[in-house]
Amino acid sequence: MRAFSSFLGKEFQESLRTYRLLIMVAAFVALGVLSPLLAKMVPDLLNGTDMGGGAILRVPPATALDSWGQFFKNISQLGVLILVIVDCGIMGTELAKGTLTNFLAKGLPRSTVIWAKFVSATVMWTLCYGLALLVTWGYTLYFWGNGPLSHAFLAFTCLWVFGVLLIALLILGGIIQSNIYGALLAAAAVIIVLNLVNIAPQAAKYNPISLAGGTVNLLSGHNTLGDYLPALWICLAAIVVIMAASLAVFDRKQL
Amino acid sequence: MTDVLQVEHLSKSFGKTTVITDISLSVPAGSVFGFIGENGAGKTTTMKMILGLLKPDSGSVHVCGEKVRFGMTKSNRYVGYLPDVPQFYSYFRPQEYLRLCGQIAGMSTSQIARRSTELLEMVGLAKVTKRIGSFSRGMRQRLGVAQALIHSPRLLICDEPTSALDPVGRKEVLDLLHQISADTTVLFSTHVLSDVERICDRAAVLHHGTIVLDGNLADLKARHGSTGLQIEFSHPDDLARFRSLVPARLLADQTDTEVTVRTTDPKADMAILHLLAEHDILPVRFEALAPSVENLFLEAVA
Repeated sequence: MRAFSSFLGKEFQESLRTYRLLIMVAAFVALGVLSPLLAKMVPDLLNGTDMGGGAILRVPPATALDSWGQFFKNISQLGVLILVIVDCGIMGTELAKGTLTNFLAKGLPRSTVIWAKFVSATVMWTLCYGLALLVTWGYTLYFWGNGPLSHAFLAFTCLWVFGVLLIALLILGGIIQSNIYGALLAAAAVIIVLNLVNIAPQAAKYNPISLAGGTVNLLSGHNTLGDYLPALWICLAAIVVIMAASLAVFDRKQL
Repeated sequence: MTDVLQVEHLSKSFGKTTVITDISLSVPAGSVFGFIGENGAGKTTTMKMILGLLKPDSGSVHVCGEKVRFGMTKSNRYVGYLPDVPQFYSYFRPQEYLRLCGQIAGMSTSQIARRSTELLEMVGLAKVTKRIGSFSRGMRQRLGVAQALIHSPRLLICDEPTSALDPVGRKEVLDLLHQISADTTVLFSTHVLSDVERICDRAAVLHHGTIVLDGNLADLKARHGSTGLQIEFSHPDDLARFRSLVPARLLADQTDTEVTVRTTDPKADMAILHLLAEHDILPVRFEALAPSVENLFLEAVA
């Protein structure tokens, strides 16, 4: 347990000193600010646009749901991209450079390395995601007041779980290839495959990618819990399987 | 003397390339063991198998009587390891890095504080407070020695600790190894033979994945006897007469008045001396060349 807490401490220190945490916090706070502002400004910008032939564009004023729509869109695209870029070296860089050797040679269990990295990256993601959520929530409250949101907790949890899935993938990819490209490849390949699967409408219910962008429909009450629960369970199961694979592969890896 | 390290019938290949073929060696406690071999001879592979970082195809390794298992690092509590190019987290300061090493090795806070002060003093980094990222190679190597020794291991394994260093750095690291050998057994790999000559008392030569020579350095030198004679004459005529008396294949490296004679044991040296006396040739210099590690090595890999 002491080895775990020491190595976890090292992970957090690394995030701080290499500015990874700072970059992620800044980016997510910016996304948190941007989402309600964009929702607020888009109708103002578009209103009165001459569409030609005397038609003038009229856009209805934005609502709190538009703000959350922007939030999900921004975090699931830019936010997830930032998460992948910041965390892609989490395992690969250490293996490529050989910085773990000194510690493994001192009796640090290999599984401890993986858990410490998973926990630190998940904590960082939770912090940044939570900050963005808080900021958007504050602005939304300020602009539109406190409207009713259905299934808010689950709607926000879905995107968070998708982020955790990506973290697990980055760790597994990094272990398999021993560099950051393996991690990037694993994350990119899975996102592409899930998007391809999503072309079939009947698969959407079970597809973890639907957790990433679609949950605003849950907030608005368009969709029900049942539309997302299968995908959520599959995503959680995938995280467990990927982590188990990471532990097994790393245990057998010749360093 | 008990053996700190025992390697038995170890073999390893990567794909179709065989790197290590059935090697066995033992390192007695208290010795400084030189593990000699050319680049690519399999030294690092062997060391990584001793640390459980690589999986042997066959054979076994025991450290302090405990069997080394691949991936399980329990036996590593007895071992300190200095990789050939030690890699550190560049954002740490040396004290912070050693603290993390100590924590991972399961030491108490007070032990870590005492030991890191001691070690940083020993490797000459006590006053250095800058981050490791800006360290020179020599400083990294010295910090590498410190991190390997933080948990007071019984066996220190160093992978070519001097190969990337300038002469000053090399001397510093060799002096360090010599200094710690008082209470730690040292196994270090190298292809620099003068390093072995300087600090080792035992050595093994690894060549194409097999051990071709192994033992106490003094014994090895004695067993392989003299490696030759250097004879200098006052006049080229004396040399010409001498040359007519010994088979040409024994002669090497000659100038007008000087010749090296290849001999393999002291009896042959005596025979040459008798030959000179019988024929009334008086050399101005008659020197038995001391066997060097270099000669041993070249002979072993020939």
